[in-house]
Amino acid sequence: MSQGKNVQRTLCIIAVGSALFWSGLGYAMDASDAPEVITMDSLENHYDPVEFNHLEHTEMAACTDCHHHTLGIPPTNESCVKCHENSPEADVLSCGDCHLTDRFGIEALATLDDPQLYHRGTPGLKGAYHLNCVGCHQEVGGPIGCEDCHTMKDAGKKMFKAGKYAPVSKGEKGGH
Amino acid sequence: MKNKIINRRNFIKGGLGGAVVASQLKGKESQAAGAFDHYPDSMGVLVDVTRCVGCRSCEAACNQEQGLPEPEKPFNDYSVFDEVHPHGGHGREERRTTEYNYTIVNKYNVPGVDHPLFRKIQCNHCLEPACLTSCFVNAYSKTPEGAVVYDPTVCVGCRTCMIACPFYVPTFKYGSAFKPRIMKCVFCHETRLKEGRPPACVEICPQEALTFGKRTDLLEMAKSRIRSNPDKYVDHIYGEKEAGGTAWLYLSPVEFDKVGFDVHVPHEPVINFVRDFLSIVPMVLLIWPALFTGFHLLSNRKDAKSQHDEDNQEV
Amino acid sequence: MKLFTNNKQEVPIVDHCKPDGSKWSITEKLLLGLSFQDYKKQFFRNPFNWAFIIIFLIGTPILIERYLFGLGTVTHSSSDYPWGLFLGFGLFGMVPLSASGFMLGTTVELFGRKDFHPIERLALLNGLLGYFFAVLFLMVDLGMPWRLPYPMFVSLGPAAVLFLVAWHVATYLSVQVAEVLPSFFEWLGWLKGKRAIRSMVLGLTVSGIILSTLHQGALGALFTYAPGKLHPLWLSANFQWIHFFCSSIFGGLCMVIVVSTLIKKFMAWRCDDHFLETLDNLSLGLAKGATLAMITYIVIKFVAIAHDKEWAYLLTGWGQYYLLEITVAVVLPLILCVWAIRNDNATVVRFAALIVVLGIIWNRLNTALICYNWHLYQEIPHWKEVAITVLVYSSYIITYRFILYRLPIVYEWKGEK
Repeated sequence: MSQGKNVQRTLCIIAVGSALFWSGLGYAMDASDAPEVITMDSLENHYDPVEFNHLEHTEMAACTDCHHHTLGIPPTNESCVKCHENSPEADVLSCGDCHLTDRFGIEALATLDDPQLYHRGTPGLKGAYHLNCVGCHQEVGGPIGCEDCHTMKDAGKKMFKAGKYAPVSKGEKGGH
Repeated sequence: MKNKIINRRNFIKGGLGGAVVASQLKGKESQAAGAFDHYPDSMGVLVDVTRCVGCRSCEAACNQEQGLPEPEKPFNDYSVFDEVHPHGGHGREERRTTEYNYTIVNKYNVPGVDHPLFRKIQCNHCLEPACLTSCFVNAYSKTPEGAVVYDPTVCVGCRTCMIACPFYVPTFKYGSAFKPRIMKCVFCHETRLKEGRPPACVEICPQEALTFGKRTDLLEMAKSRIRSNPDKYVDHIYGEKEAGGTAWLYLSPVEFDKVGFDVHVPHEPVINFVRDFLSIVPMVLLIWPALFTGFHLLSNRKDAKSQHDEDNQEV
Repeated sequence: MKLFTNNKQEVPIVDHCKPDGSKWSITEKLLLGLSFQDYKKQFFRNPFNWAFIIIFLIGTPILIERYLFGLGTVTHSSSDYPWGLFLGFGLFGMVPLSASGFMLGTTVELFGRKDFHPIERLALLNGLLGYFFAVLFLMVDLGMPWRLPYPMFVSLGPAAVLFLVAWHVATYLSVQVAEVLPSFFEWLGWLKGKRAIRSMVLGLTVSGIILSTLHQGALGALFTYAPGKLHPLWLSANFQWIHFFCSSIFGGLCMVIVVSTLIKKFMAWRCDDHFLETLDNLSLGLAKGATLAMITYIVIKFVAIAHDKEWAYLLTGWGQYYLLEITVAVVLPLILCVWAIRNDNATVVRFAALIVVLGIIWNRLNTALICYNWHLYQEIPHWKEVAITVLVYSSYIITYRFILYRLPIVYEWKGEK
């Protein structure tokens, strides 16, 4: 298992590296250049990391569904096309490069003070993942339950009062 | 705040007469209700009903952050959505916030929508809070950051705030004889908002159904969401004008009453409805004494006159 | 009591001195001149007292339960219905019925209508006790009754309507104590105190009117905080205070008529002839005043509907309930009063006054409970809530009776005054 993880991590690094390399050459990315599996651990406080099978998903969805306009392929969304019809391939491709982890931090919020800023409603990383993943899963009938993708850690169970933290006392409340 | 303290001191110094009450009342009222310009940089949360999937993470995070009592069911138990007449309101069919939870999410099956919709309920943190204006011991304050917070050390337990809140938010610990208090969402003011961090529910929300930011930014954001997706949203931002404006704002894909919002909440601060009465108070205090003493003098004069007439007749 | 009054010529006490010239002691005055044994006997012979004993036996443990285990154990108050019977009946119902104090104070002391003098003291006492027990009801309902002085001295929120209510009820309560004190001083034989109060009577009366106008109105204005919750027919942001104030005028007057009727029926031994002889005429006179207030009330009720353009509501079920309330509680007694005044019929006036008193309570319960949350659901008070309400109201009646038995309220003190 740990070996498998290492392999994936290596793959990730290679993928990102090659992406940078290829982008430098001005070629559009191909799905086969992408990492096969991506480990997402932004919810590690409460859940185990999620192994996202990128390769499998490239067979089910269009690249632009997730990588909106950053692959050098014209986006499908009408309002995006207005500006990004001829956008070249971007230097950075991973979700977290545009979608901030600390979306509501003081610094992130301060960027909204710039009146020139156009993308004012860009969701944070967690929001971007879920809005896109769950949105698509709902359409195509993929798994949508929280714990279909996320295995709850002890801390998560503690917060959700689930598992061994499940409430035992019942009917004590209300008083009337 | 300083101003307030000075007011209080003058007030006590000035004696306990009604006239002082009136002048105080007038001064405070115009300050609190009339000229008050809100806090321009106060924070808020934009709730997008189209995004919420009913995972109840916000309920769980709130419970942990605020150290609230253990729930009846785990927060990943979704059978609560189908409960009818849960405790908290005797005749209410829906779940609502209670003294045990500051926020809850309810599910709505709306005809014509192929999936259920979810709506989060918590204190909306009004710009001119009715709870605050109705409280006779100043237990509530609106912080510059935007939270409406409550001070249990001065509360008398009259529960007028619960009458006044147009959103039925404040709840009371009826079960406690010696330490009852109001329980309501405080925007995580002490633990987070004060430091500029979003409340626990916003931070945990996986769908970013809750967007934290300056209220003014959020309004813009909400408008642009409606503008760029006119088919997805109803063209209304609940909370922009409701109750005079609230820090928490909502976007919905269907008419708001279909997802449990009270669409009859007036579009002005509740205090506006009370103003008519407040304005007569100084008048009564000033005019009545003169008027009635005048009546007295008149009727006595009549007495004296008839007495005089009688005397004359006798003579 | 009748038996004893027949047996003993010196009872009831109306003077400091016994017929033999010696003075009544305070204890004797308290026991109405009876021996302790006799007092006990007459107490248990009275069927009303048995009813009170039962009420206290049931109510007291429940009241203790409320203070030991919280409001939640005895009421159905909830997050949706914060106020129940204690305030709906005890505060909002009792305060308007206690407006009699300032009404008759004004009539007699300010307008110089000395003909109402025989009933003035009863009206003042009715006011004092009504307010006092309304405050007691509040003490039952407040979450932290021990913090009652907070709005006065600890943390002031002067922009709140309730702040006005608190201050005005508190000040007015002291004014009323001062107004009732002369009877107590006469009974006690401390004439200095009485003279001191007499010299302030004009000031007291005027402040009584001011304070009453404001807090009777303020109790109504409390509901203007709930514009979306209370049914629009029972709520008018502009006129609510005047509705409450105006209805308290005829409510207070009619309460005096009802109480005096009860006194005449059950306590005639305590009244002096002057009181009994003038009572019919005075009741008619009070009814005359009430009639004018009732007409005004009906007019402003409909002015409010016109102002808020709420005519359409009258066609709904709630509208019919509203019309029922107005018709039964105001129009009917108004017609009865007008007829009775024309025909000099005190009995009908008394009947009409009873309807008015119940009608006022009905109106206040409608406002505070029944038509509150009209778009949500109806709350039915817990039986223990009813038990405590009955208990406190019984204490009110007992205190009322205790004072009437002793102080020169419905009779004139024969001794030094």
